[in-house]
Amino acid sequence: MSLHRRLTQLTLAASVGLLSTAALAAGEIPGHPRDLSYGELRFEVPNADSLRHELSNGIPVYVVEDHSLPLVDLSITLRTGEFLETEESRGVAGLTGSMIRQGGTERLSAEEFDEQVDFLAARMSTSGGSTSSGASLNCLSNALDDSLDLFFEMLKTPGFQADRLGVVKGNLLEGMKQRNDDPRTIAAREWSWLLRGRDHFSASQLTAAELEQIDGEALADFHRRYWRPEQMIVAVSGAVDTTAILADLERRLNEWPAAPSGTTEVTWPPTAPEFEPAPGIYHVEKDIPQGRVSIGHLTTVWEDWSDPEAYAAMVMNEILGGGGFISRITKRIRSDEGLAYSAGSGYNQGTFWPGTFTVGYQSKNPTVALAAKIALEEITRIQDEPVSDEELATAKASFIDTFPRRFESAAAVARTFARDEYIGRSHDYWYHYRDRFAAVDKAAVQKAAQERLRPEDLVMLIVGPWEEIGPGDADQRADMSQILGGEVNHLPLRDPLTLEAMP
Amino acid sequence: MQRRFTAVAATVAALLFLAAGSWATDTAAPEAKVPVESFTLDNGMRFLVVERPDQTTVSAGWVAHVGSANERPGITGLAHLFEHMLFKGTRTIGTTDIERDLEVIAEQEAIQEELRKHYRRQRERARRGEIEDPFDPASRTPEMIELQSQFDALVEEQRSLMIKDEFDQLYTEAGASGMNAFTTEDLTGYFVTVPANKLELWFWMESDRLYEPVFREFYSERDVVHEERRMRTESTPTGEFDELLSAMFWQSHPYSWPVVGWPSDLRVISQQQAQEFFDTYYAPNNLTAVLVGNFDREKVEVLAKRYFGRLERGAIEPPDVVTLEMTQVAEKRMNAECDCQPQVSVQYHTVPFHHVDSYALDVLAGVLNGRTGRLYKSLVLDQQIATSASASQESNKYAGSFGVGIEAKGDHQPEALELAWYRELERLQNELVPDRELQKVKNQIEADAFRGLQSPFFLLVQLIFYDGLGHWEYLNEWSDLTRAVTAEDIQRVAQTYFAAENRVVGLYDRKAGTVEMEMPDGFDDLPPEVHEMVRTQARQIRQMDDVEALAAMVSAAGEQLEAMESPRKEIMGVLVEVAQQRLAELTDSGEEN
Repeated sequence: MSLHRRLTQLTLAASVGLLSTAALAAGEIPGHPRDLSYGELRFEVPNADSLRHELSNGIPVYVVEDHSLPLVDLSITLRTGEFLETEESRGVAGLTGSMIRQGGTERLSAEEFDEQVDFLAARMSTSGGSTSSGASLNCLSNALDDSLDLFFEMLKTPGFQADRLGVVKGNLLEGMKQRNDDPRTIAAREWSWLLRGRDHFSASQLTAAELEQIDGEALADFHRRYWRPEQMIVAVSGAVDTTAILADLERRLNEWPAAPSGTTEVTWPPTAPEFEPAPGIYHVEKDIPQGRVSIGHLTTVWEDWSDPEAYAAMVMNEILGGGGFISRITKRIRSDEGLAYSAGSGYNQGTFWPGTFTVGYQSKNPTVALAAKIALEEITRIQDEPVSDEELATAKASFIDTFPRRFESAAAVARTFARDEYIGRSHDYWYHYRDRFAAVDKAAVQKAAQERLRPEDLVMLIVGPWEEIGPGDADQRADMSQILGGEVNHLPLRDPLTLEAMP
Repeated sequence: MQRRFTAVAATVAALLFLAAGSWATDTAAPEAKVPVESFTLDNGMRFLVVERPDQTTVSAGWVAHVGSANERPGITGLAHLFEHMLFKGTRTIGTTDIERDLEVIAEQEAIQEELRKHYRRQRERARRGEIEDPFDPASRTPEMIELQSQFDALVEEQRSLMIKDEFDQLYTEAGASGMNAFTTEDLTGYFVTVPANKLELWFWMESDRLYEPVFREFYSERDVVHEERRMRTESTPTGEFDELLSAMFWQSHPYSWPVVGWPSDLRVISQQQAQEFFDTYYAPNNLTAVLVGNFDREKVEVLAKRYFGRLERGAIEPPDVVTLEMTQVAEKRMNAECDCQPQVSVQYHTVPFHHVDSYALDVLAGVLNGRTGRLYKSLVLDQQIATSASASQESNKYAGSFGVGIEAKGDHQPEALELAWYRELERLQNELVPDRELQKVKNQIEADAFRGLQSPFFLLVQLIFYDGLGHWEYLNEWSDLTRAVTAEDIQRVAQTYFAAENRVVGLYDRKAGTVEMEMPDGFDDLPPEVHEMVRTQARQIRQMDDVEALAAMVSAAGEQLEAMESPRKEIMGVLVEVAQQRLAELTDSGEEN
């Protein structure tokens, strides 16, 4: 039975409740939307165990059938990435990831391979990231067999065609040249350095000289060692028959040649950064009319996926700045004062190492300080005062009532469960998710704010023209000397190719 | 099919670009036409509904057939500002004391009217050169400062009466998500996803804000829009130049001004103007609602009548946009210098949405696009003069354009990219597209047609969009019409719409160094692999205009030079020479550079 069919049965309750009362039939419109009454909406998380299968070589495969459209989605997550690079092989994981798709195969030239994929109207992509790499396929079900053939030929025997590698490297170099063009790029780079340090692979940036050194052999070697069946978790969804697709995968993955012994040691989980961020204000000069700002610090790492305090912290952030227009920072900076189009906060607990708490906004230069002052006031306030009942209820609802949407499509179900397996989280997480948010109370929210927000540790990064930002607004409501001690570290702009400080 | 959104839902444009309409008729593949049902209320409001019983939600929205093209000079940006205002509440939502609230709003308006008179004088002073910027806070007169402080006091009072963002609050606490809106040149769309059991909330909320809206926080929201403009247009590498190019492209048509509006208009737009705009364009006869999800269609019709039936048909029919674009008689060119990758944008006047030739132009773009498309193969892979290249037919409601954008690789100049595009164009004009190449594009259209139906929310957005452009049936017609395009059609449109006098060309180059840099003598002796790096650094040095910093750099480098080893020494030598040249330029010609 397909997932969608099951969802249908579960949600019949949803429409039954609608308009069942006689009062409404008469055409009355309640005076306030809170006077409306609704039927119950029931939703059960699909059973992950029944969707999980294993190939004979141990590769987990989640299959979720959905025959409503003649499309198939297949995605593979690998425990492979930049964390496996050495000092000498920096950049290799990412480039391997993109070149598997772009460099043809041992049998087919890149031109032939691309033509065949495009003629099938299939979409294939591969990528290499910091702690994971991935490959995905989307195709019409009538082209599934040919698409799978090409897809696995690419994964098993990529060609890393030299001229294509040259093109891709050349394009990456052009991308590097643009590192100082957009204030967003500058801010993202400096922010990750400020929080993670320049050396950790999750924050490091490739230089042109390092890129230059990477050759096809390095990519082939990385592929041979780390793009291995034993690193894979597979998610399939759409117009497939479970038994048939498992046989399809078995046939293609079983033939994968064994790796030379001793070459595939993967340290898992990836090594955490050891960097300690230094609190304070940091600034990078850029001639723009609007300062781009991040304020934040590190958080903690998930030790226990059932930790009630972690859920309280998420609710706390929702109220502080994560909940869009109804959250405090957005309300005050955007709606009350009109100081920013976008303003808010994010709080995330890390999977492999501590996550981040970040307030972000962009405001015209003279009001950067005023917006910062407001954001800092709100951080203190949520520590000092309990949140209101209404704020708590709304924040909890935004997690609980939107929960079914996480499982809205077959692809979402398959990928969600596959991701659990990749990070080593029990699927139980989802079965208790709503209850854990429901259990959060006001005291827990305040405690989370007091323990998990640390004003003394805040790092602030501003990209923009200091001459206009420093003095603050015309009405003298705030200037930068009043923010976080007022001392500013002016960071140099970086040479886009060497990343050395520019004069 | 990419279109420009300036409001919050910019990603929607990217999604739409990936989408298509419908499916195959000539294969055994499943038919995937969307069963859209429609009905119309007595007041003229239309409803399009698609049942998706497998969902736990309903994606719901509506479109007002109004966009920036319906504005005029003086009120540019109003359609978009208005979109923001509709989230500010109603007589019931957003206030604890509606009577006093309305009084405060009236008092605020009176002060703003006074301020507008002052701004009229400020503009006059600026015209005479007495002040530089009529809106600079530092140039305010004492009377203006006094008026502003009276206004601020009223804002404070209003705040004490308000239930902040209650509109969002009510949706969020009910488990709704993704509430947002967007404005384009042609239409304004509003949407949200609600749990299926709470669909009536949507009817309540959306009909209430059309029935009795209250434009609170009008003036602080104007500032928010200003920040939006700073973020999207003024702080992005090419934003201001794209805006200029668009203004150059459209000669007579209202598409020439940006959706977000001109800043000087935004400063003085009044509530009165907003009210007139609402009365004209937000009447039910100018609106279409769209629902996609899990509901009972008959109950939806009952609810529609109850809630939206109370809206009164507009007193006048919303006026049409009557100004037609003049036929362009000469090529237009822009030479821009920005903090950006050198690039070129060439745009041609073509045809609007649903025009018979729009389908052939879409396929023509398909032949050019993608990893095996002609632009990528020729410019990125073979000639290696570009890092990316794409083309698209942009079919707006009243007029359309075909655009080609190419980003340079290495030191290739935008002019070279422009010429490379003309060579590809000539091929399309002179030779028929081969069968297999055309079939490949059509195969992709067929697959994309199905991909476009995967998400109910995306289906909603497509219906909002196509109805906003005047023909929602496009959703179910698009693919057949596109797949009927022949190689001869493509050649014909290539020959029809791409004349030199019908185009605008935007050349973007990195600031300074527009012409190919003369490198000092030692440059050619450097190892080839560092050429790129040295050029970039040289370019940056040539952009510097701080004489002292340059001088300090030259002297510091000079001292270190002796101690350096090869090849760093040679590299540094070249860069020092560049810096010296720049220094000489600056000191010879003063600050003119």
